[in-house]
Amino acid sequence: MIIIVDALNKDRFGDLLDEMFKLRARVFGDRLGWEVEITNGREIDQFDRLDPAYVIGLDDEGHVVSCVRALQTTGPHMLSDVFQVLLDGEPPLRSATLWESTRFCVDTQRLCRDGNTMKAVSMATCELMIGSLEYARRSGISDIITVIDPVVNRVLKRSDNAPYDYVGSTKQMGKVPAMAALLDCTEERINRVRAFAGITHDVFANEDTVRDLLDARQLAFAAQLGESSEWMAAILSGSEEALPPVLPEDIQDYCRAQIETAQTEEEHAAALRLVAVLVRERVHPAMHRLVFQS
Amino acid sequence: MNVDLIDLGNESRNAGSFVSFLDQICARFELDHAAYAGTNPVASAVHGYVNYPDAWKHHYAENGLHRIDPTLLVASRSIAPVDWSRLDHTEGFEKTFRDARDFGITNRGLTIPVRGPYGDIGMLSVTRDCSVTEWEKLSRQILPDLQSVAVHVHDTVMRSDVLSRALRYPALSTREREILQWIAAGKSQQDVGDILGISHRTVEVHLRSGREKLYALTTPQAVGRAIMLGLIYPL
Repeated sequence: MIIIVDALNKDRFGDLLDEMFKLRARVFGDRLGWEVEITNGREIDQFDRLDPAYVIGLDDEGHVVSCVRALQTTGPHMLSDVFQVLLDGEPPLRSATLWESTRFCVDTQRLCRDGNTMKAVSMATCELMIGSLEYARRSGISDIITVIDPVVNRVLKRSDNAPYDYVGSTKQMGKVPAMAALLDCTEERINRVRAFAGITHDVFANEDTVRDLLDARQLAFAAQLGESSEWMAAILSGSEEALPPVLPEDIQDYCRAQIETAQTEEEHAAALRLVAVLVRERVHPAMHRLVFQS
Repeated sequence: MNVDLIDLGNESRNAGSFVSFLDQICARFELDHAAYAGTNPVASAVHGYVNYPDAWKHHYAENGLHRIDPTLLVASRSIAPVDWSRLDHTEGFEKTFRDARDFGITNRGLTIPVRGPYGDIGMLSVTRDCSVTEWEKLSRQILPDLQSVAVHVHDTVMRSDVLSRALRYPALSTREREILQWIAAGKSQQDVGDILGISHRTVEVHLRSGREKLYALTTPQAVGRAIMLGLIYPL
């Protein structure tokens, strides 16, 4: 399912944006080796501060699995400000009905978990393409210029969504080549991608439904932690003196490091579960003793 | 775009001509009212033109509604046109439009935000008093052309001072110039595509960009202006 997050609703979906910036850091920084700035495990650049619109793909649990960013070409955008080299020194196209799309990516890691195949990746990719094209189309936009690498270019071609032309030429940007491709937002193109992926449903999710889903997930997460939360709080605050000496100091240090260096929500949850298990196994006997003593 | 709007680029620019352009927009797109508001940081100027009834204009100004009106404040941060139904849960919307009905102003409308290259922002808002179905059908139909018109109004207003005009000298690419040159030579878009070995769509997207950079609404106007500026040769 697809959700559009822009300046008008980002106060409701800050958690989604945060997850998206982390996904972009993993894809563009770690996997593709683009020269992007990553702070605190999040890839955020100057264009993210210009109130762009994000088309974000979510899985059934409400996790971000794909995203792309859109800006108007009448104002500041990447091709006018940082990617001019792709245009061979020519001024960029500027039109009321042309949007620029950048930072197109899909979370192949998450989608291929649990024995899923590349089929899931392809579906998520197509859903994101359909979402972007339909969002642009209903906004009165006729064409999209998109900055991509040859890999995404191949993905577009294979999904019956081949660019109808390119502007400028392919150039090496840091470690990878990049190019500017043109896509029309016609119904014919949208229908082609839909037919390729076999997607007939409305790809857009209702904002309230998404919010409920995210809230429910957070509640479930909190409940899972419930029983060990006291120990967690004590461990995290570093006030080990307050803790009964149940976990050896080095184990406590190890747990704290695991929690602090967790990169994803899963890793974080796993680190907390580990503490819960250790505490249950080792503490309960100790607890009994404490209780007896008092 | 097939429009019967007078191109603002040729008009002597004064408030009257902008308001009459808004009237034309309403007539052309079957709308009740139109309003343009824009800020130009280069000239430190704020511009506003509306064709609302005077009574509503006075009421709006007297009550300082521009300070809470979400169709200005909120919509300006979107990149897509904002249908006012997306704003009706906001506090400012209720306050702004509570009285509007008494003045015969509908809350059925949309705002097209425009971003310019120098931090300038403009908004073209249009309204029409009609049913939801009718409105959805109309807005879907007029949005592409209205997007272009909004940028046209914005660019023209932003060029109304000397410094901004100098900054906004049309920067056409080689592709845009050669397409305009062939059009000036009397070739159709299809011919131009064949001559240059590019798709019809590529011709179209460059032509549209070229037109807008030249502040023209139609291709003949764009060709005329490109010749005038010495960007292409007269044939």
